[in-house]
Amino acid sequence: MKKLSTRWGSAFGCLVIGAGMMASASASELTVWCWDPDFNVPAMQDAAARYTKLHPDVKITVNNIAQNDIKQKLQTQLLANVTDGLPDIVLIQDDNAQRFLQGFPAAFEPLSDAIDLKKFAPYKVAAATYNGKSYSVPFDSGVTGLFYRSDYLAAAGYKPADLQDITWDQLIKIGKDVKAKTGHDFFDLDFNEAGLVRAMMQSAGKWFFTADGQLDIIDNAPLKAALETYSKLWKADIVKPVSGWSAYTGAFTSGDVAAVASGAWMTGTIKGSPDQSGKWGVAPLPKLDGIEGATHYSNWGGSSWYVFSSSKQKTTATDFLNTVWAGDIDFYQGILINQGAVGSLLAAREGAAYKASDPFFGGAPVWENFSNWLGQIPSVDYGTFTQEVNSAIQAQLPSIAKGGSVDEALKAINDRVSQQIQ
Amino acid sequence: MTGTSKITRYAIVYSVLSAATFVSIFPFYWMIVGATNTSAEIVKGKTSFGGNLLANIERLLEQVDLGRVFLNSAGLAVAGTLLTLLVSSLAGYGFEMFRSRIRERIFALLLLLLSVPFAALMVPLFIMVSSAGLANTFVAVVLPSIASIFIIFYFRQATKAFPGELRDAARIDGLREWQIFLHVYMPAMRSTYAAATIIVFMMSWNNFLWPLIVLQTPEHKTITLVISALTSAYTPDFGVILVATILATLPTLVLFFVLQRQFVAGMLGSVK
Repeated sequence: MKKLSTRWGSAFGCLVIGAGMMASASASELTVWCWDPDFNVPAMQDAAARYTKLHPDVKITVNNIAQNDIKQKLQTQLLANVTDGLPDIVLIQDDNAQRFLQGFPAAFEPLSDAIDLKKFAPYKVAAATYNGKSYSVPFDSGVTGLFYRSDYLAAAGYKPADLQDITWDQLIKIGKDVKAKTGHDFFDLDFNEAGLVRAMMQSAGKWFFTADGQLDIIDNAPLKAALETYSKLWKADIVKPVSGWSAYTGAFTSGDVAAVASGAWMTGTIKGSPDQSGKWGVAPLPKLDGIEGATHYSNWGGSSWYVFSSSKQKTTATDFLNTVWAGDIDFYQGILINQGAVGSLLAAREGAAYKASDPFFGGAPVWENFSNWLGQIPSVDYGTFTQEVNSAIQAQLPSIAKGGSVDEALKAINDRVSQQIQ
Repeated sequence: MTGTSKITRYAIVYSVLSAATFVSIFPFYWMIVGATNTSAEIVKGKTSFGGNLLANIERLLEQVDLGRVFLNSAGLAVAGTLLTLLVSSLAGYGFEMFRSRIRERIFALLLLLLSVPFAALMVPLFIMVSSAGLANTFVAVVLPSIASIFIIFYFRQATKAFPGELRDAARIDGLREWQIFLHVYMPAMRSTYAAATIIVFMMSWNNFLWPLIVLQTPEHKTITLVISALTSAYTPDFGVILVATILATLPTLVLFFVLQRQFVAGMLGSVK
């Protein structure tokens, strides 16, 4: 009660002072938290510049904070129920969103009433939907592709067409041929990253949970098939083991390995070696063998913008997201060219940049392909415990790679997670 | 016979020491070499000096208001160190010098609190700090750390070597208790203070989690928060990160070399 009265007291004080300087009353200031100074930050700054051009009285500040640091800050502040100092808009990775939405439902502003979210890729909207309302404006898509060295594949007698509409088993055979002819491993994999397994599983429209949120591991056919494929990759002796992100990206950017399956955001990293221009291609992800509903389309990473309900400027914040992020096709062409960011606004693919072909990838219309695949990614419910299951899977990857039983691994994953989430 | 066994012994000792030296020196070498190379060269594992140092520095300055960040970190570390030393050494001195029936129990309780991880205290501490209106202030960063149990413990142990006769003599000369602490104890424990300075300065200079939680605006960022933000890129620029890391390492390094002799003496627990 005392706290409340002091708050009113200071509010009254502010009012008195505020009355004295009425001139600046209409100006509003938005703060945004996001990570990656080369990707999200400049994209958001570009969006901010476009909005402030239309609304000169709005000032938008974009703060670069590491993703883990944002999670840590949100977790602490929302648990402490202290909203002072929170920004107006924050970026959250999709597979982490439900944890916050379900844990702190009142902290975020539902956006589905104010913004037409049908304009975005459905799987992105589904990731931020809770209790019938959707809470985010989708940003970058982690639409997956198989990036490969076309020169290595040509040396083994394969053309780009040979990678279209194939299964993982067929890809493994190609990988073996490439290794026999060129001496290069096909993939490099890190035991601390289960992204490939998740991407394979989502390509068949499945995640770790049943529709009512129960853990679904033991009888999860796509997950089992993904782990078996993972095991086959190692058994075929076409994988270079690496440790850490820099070694992981280093292996394919240096030409050590022939291919990498990843999200579209990896394009920037691959194009970071301009001397390899013309030597790369992108194919859709192979299909899982023998799985009903298996597709060539999946997602790896990607994040979306959320508005805090504690924000004093939430109307402006929502209008900003609606005007630029849900409406400005030209803006999406810019961030595609400058940051390699594939947005989730479906209409953006009609723009010129999406239609352009890329000489780095042998003149293929890479972005148009990505955006066509984007609309076909199966929606899944990422649930609240993705991180727990993910680390349980990581713990099993070394033994699966050594040829250990996949059924036993599934059981171990199930046991560990059920114990954790009780 | 003894000659050869001596040689073997030396060979073993020196190879073990060389290996240990390599393990401790190499990260430093790697950091310095990395700062002169491009990100691509670092990823490929290049271990020789390159010509990219200026470009890396330039890009760091583009992204970060370095002066501001250093001022923040230095201000926090200096203020934090001074206050922690003052408050915690006073507590350590008090625990050893003043007898009381419950003294040992309170002290045991303090030591028990050492085992509570900071992560468990973070949320309640944040609620306290923000309801005091201190969120996003430097005071909030420094305040919770100035009564450091570890430093209290360290000073209490060191005070055991402080001769009680000195205190008695000072009393006879008519000094009050606080004057004894200020004019007799503090100068006599110089090397203990020096060692504690290095430890506390390093702790507050490298402090990450609490400043991360409590500081909100870019004007308040410290060097550790800046490095963390730099590493968050999908394609991190390792050259720039290593330049920032070198800059972040320098102050503690300089402080250590300045206070090195006293540090060793302080660790040995001598009173001059």
